Amino acid sequence: MNQNPSGTQVARLEQLLGGARTITDSASLAAYEIDGMRPAAAVRAADAAEVAELVRLAAAEGLAVIPCSGRSKLAVGGVPARYDVALDLSTLNRVISYDPGDLTLSVEPGAQLEDLQRELGRHGQFLPLEVAFSERATVGGAIATNAYSPLRTHFGSARDFVLGMEFVTGLGEIAKSGGRVVKNVTGYDLHKLLIGSLGTLAVITRVHFRTFPRPAERRVFTAEFGTARAALEFCSEVAASALEPWALELLDPGAAEISRLAAQSGGDARGWRVVIAAAGSAAVVERHARDLERMAREAGAARVEAWTGAEAARCLRAIREFARLVLERAPGATIIRIALLPTSSAALAERIAGIADSHSLDAALAIGAAGSVGTGYVALWPRSEKRAEASGTSAVAASASSADAATDDETASLAAAVKEVLESAVSDGGAARGFVEWCPTALKRRIPLWGEAREDFVLMQRVKQIFDPRGVLAPGRYCGEL
Amino acid sequence: MNPKLIRELQNLLGRDAVLSAREDLLLYEYDGSVESARPDCVVFPSSTRDVSEIMRLAKRFETPLVGRGAGTGLSGGALPRAGGIVAVFARMNRILEIDAESRRAVVQPGVVNLDITRAVAHLGLYFAPDPSSQKSCTIGGNVSENAGGPHTLAYGVTTNHVTGLEIVMPEDGRVVRIGGKSAEPLGYDLAGLMVGSEGTLAMVTEITVRLSRAPEAVKTLLAVYDAVDDATESVVEITRRGITPAACEMLDGWTLRTVEDFVHAGFPRDCAAVLLLEVEGLLEAVDEQAAEISEVCRARGAREVRVARDAHERDLLWKGRKNAFGAIGRLSPSYYVLDGVIPRTRLPETLRRIEEIGRASGFRIGNIFHAGDGNLHPLILFDPRHPGEFERVVAAARAIIEHCIAMGGALTGEHGVGMEKNELMPLMFTPEDLTLMGRVRAAFNSDGLLNPQKMLPLGKGCGELRVLPQSVGSALPA
Repeated sequence: MNQNPSGTQVARLEQLLGGARTITDSASLAAYEIDGMRPAAAVRAADAAEVAELVRLAAAEGLAVIPCSGRSKLAVGGVPARYDVALDLSTLNRVISYDPGDLTLSVEPGAQLEDLQRELGRHGQFLPLEVAFSERATVGGAIATNAYSPLRTHFGSARDFVLGMEFVTGLGEIAKSGGRVVKNVTGYDLHKLLIGSLGTLAVITRVHFRTFPRPAERRVFTAEFGTARAALEFCSEVAASALEPWALELLDPGAAEISRLAAQSGGDARGWRVVIAAAGSAAVVERHARDLERMAREAGAARVEAWTGAEAARCLRAIREFARLVLERAPGATIIRIALLPTSSAALAERIAGIADSHSLDAALAIGAAGSVGTGYVALWPRSEKRAEASGTSAVAASASSADAATDDETASLAAAVKEVLESAVSDGGAARGFVEWCPTALKRRIPLWGEAREDFVLMQRVKQIFDPRGVLAPGRYCGEL
Repeated sequence: MNPKLIRELQNLLGRDAVLSAREDLLLYEYDGSVESARPDCVVFPSSTRDVSEIMRLAKRFETPLVGRGAGTGLSGGALPRAGGIVAVFARMNRILEIDAESRRAVVQPGVVNLDITRAVAHLGLYFAPDPSSQKSCTIGGNVSENAGGPHTLAYGVTTNHVTGLEIVMPEDGRVVRIGGKSAEPLGYDLAGLMVGSEGTLAMVTEITVRLSRAPEAVKTLLAVYDAVDDATESVVEITRRGITPAACEMLDGWTLRTVEDFVHAGFPRDCAAVLLLEVEGLLEAVDEQAAEISEVCRARGAREVRVARDAHERDLLWKGRKNAFGAIGRLSPSYYVLDGVIPRTRLPETLRRIEEIGRASGFRIGNIFHAGDGNLHPLILFDPRHPGEFERVVAAARAIIEHCIAMGGALTGEHGVGMEKNELMPLMFTPEDLTLMGRVRAAFNSDGLLNPQKMLPLGKGCGELRVLPQSVGSALPA
């Protein structure tokens, strides 16, 4: 399957970038493994020009390149069709320009999000990208995976605050689209195509963001309900009210346990929980407190609590790190990300426990922007799976290795359960809009991670052809094995 | 035009949906820009199927095809630069679905922007993008150009409010649905690519838009200045403090007097500039932000900050803003509305530069624009009957745009590139950038029949139809 590159090809890489920036020893390369596939080399590029040279060399030699930086989300995506070179962008991590007065920021893909947030924080600003694996997550990875951030409820996703990008196509062209100003309609918005494309179209070398002012205050509210229906009704009411929560997440009992939210707030282990972040001036936060308390009581909440400081931060962390906490609990978990309309949220919430039960699986469900058009995360794992050692950053590696451990039967149940989950969350157009974000390699080989091809697939193939006609970049990893 | 094509179009759509007499076509040779181009034929599709069949005929007869909404565009996007068929979406003007719970509406491209808001206002919802022409412009045109408006400062432009599209592909009339009600793309963000593609990739026949919840409270302020610099410095300071008003518009003194003579909104006639600011949201937030904005404006030299006392006063202030172009049309035989973007902190020096350019070129340049996001609309008054004047206007415009780019800005913030600025694209993009954009166009619009000679520099487009632009003379307004 994977025709390893010859020694000459590796030598050419070394010649291009110098030995120091070309990693070929097998122990170091283990860190770049994807679905059990190890590249022949990992290389570090210093700038866009080097990335371009490397991609051109790869194109000429027929090598497959997968870009990465923090490597916290390398397990997301299909099994690579080929994987010769890991292009490690973690040293391409400079802030190119930051103009706090203008609330704009240009940064390289390897920049760590936490470092960046600290820098922005010094100027009273932030990026609404609060994604999982926070201490490793980089700008490039968060954009390339279109990583979920609970702040979407208020700020939208990356497509709403990325102003432009510079990138290197699969032909090694250095190109850009958009710009650095907050309003701009010049030319095609090519950068939007790169968001969530898992590196299959181009290597991102620079991202221009709009930044946002930090609120004077942040407070988190949790409300516990006996049933999914009551919790969802509350969410709908909040969504329809004048309130402007920054995050509004619904957690089923499984998710509340995994996120340790149940432990933090006590209450009934079988309760459904709604987590709401409010931000703004003291008066605005107070208004949220008043209205949310009243609305939650009226909706039949068993308990309503408000959190500030470290406890509020812990609640927010719990929802942003959902995928990671699941993978720590059950390294072989399958995590589906689904676009939900209010009607499909209700259907999914009602059926999730039954689906899991019928396949002897455990489940956890979290819905962001619940009550309106939101994003659902469904995690499923074999009930037999032992509780993993809480090991933080090794979750991904653990996930890959546990893939081998899963039995055929377990994989078959997971495949069946994924199908049922997607069927229960039918959205507009008569089909669910969801994909399997995390799962064991065995399941990746068994089901199409993005579901059956849709009528727009032919256009996606066309897009891939435009950017990467030779299939150099992350072949096989995206929707429909693009 | 081939009479056989006209006959086939008539057979397809009915005689009343096809115009080909010269006097009928005259109506369609202009849009809101200073350009013009006459179609050979105008058709009125009633359905997606019609559009698909028209596309197939255009392909079979190798005839250019251009979509048109209300023709209010400002960059010539709806003008048939290479002749051919113009498809007017006036008959595809139905709102197909309102899903209040999901806050989405599914609409046809010919629906007028403001009619979406009118249809959902009783549900406490509205459609946020609000171009000045919102009473007449259509959502199809908004999608093509990625239209903006004053309130996009806080809420984003059209692309941030479109989640799904039905499109018809130029190569075979195939109908494809991309995106949906969900904001989460499944696969590459094709809707993100289509919005703002200026009708050069596909024809849009159905649009799913996001509806926003009407705010609980709104406050509109008018800050009055005796010096333009004080107004622009106020904008810089408001931005720097992290206050995001829903809108932050600036009008200079000359423009304001012209507007006041026309709309009688109560604008002061003796000032150098005003800022029209709006804050929206929760009562508590609105009160605080209005107070903070007033404080900033006063500290920066505003001689007066008025707060609209009621909806009537607010509407009057906005009427002045939204009718400004019409007011200026009464004074000058013609005017050229520019559209450029700069980083907001560069406003003061940029307005000074525009004034210099006006002085040096001998033109009156009015300024009425979206100050909050640095989106300028200098308005150059001229008389096209004077020989050579239009060329001098274009030179002055180019100097202003070059300044925007030098500041790190952009060629266009909301009007689009169209046939107005396609030759200026190299100011902002490298040959490699433009080659890639050319490949995108060629991959979707391989024969180059769909809206030819727009957005990219001529001679740059792979598959671009090679037809010479019409003579410069005919590009002048009569």
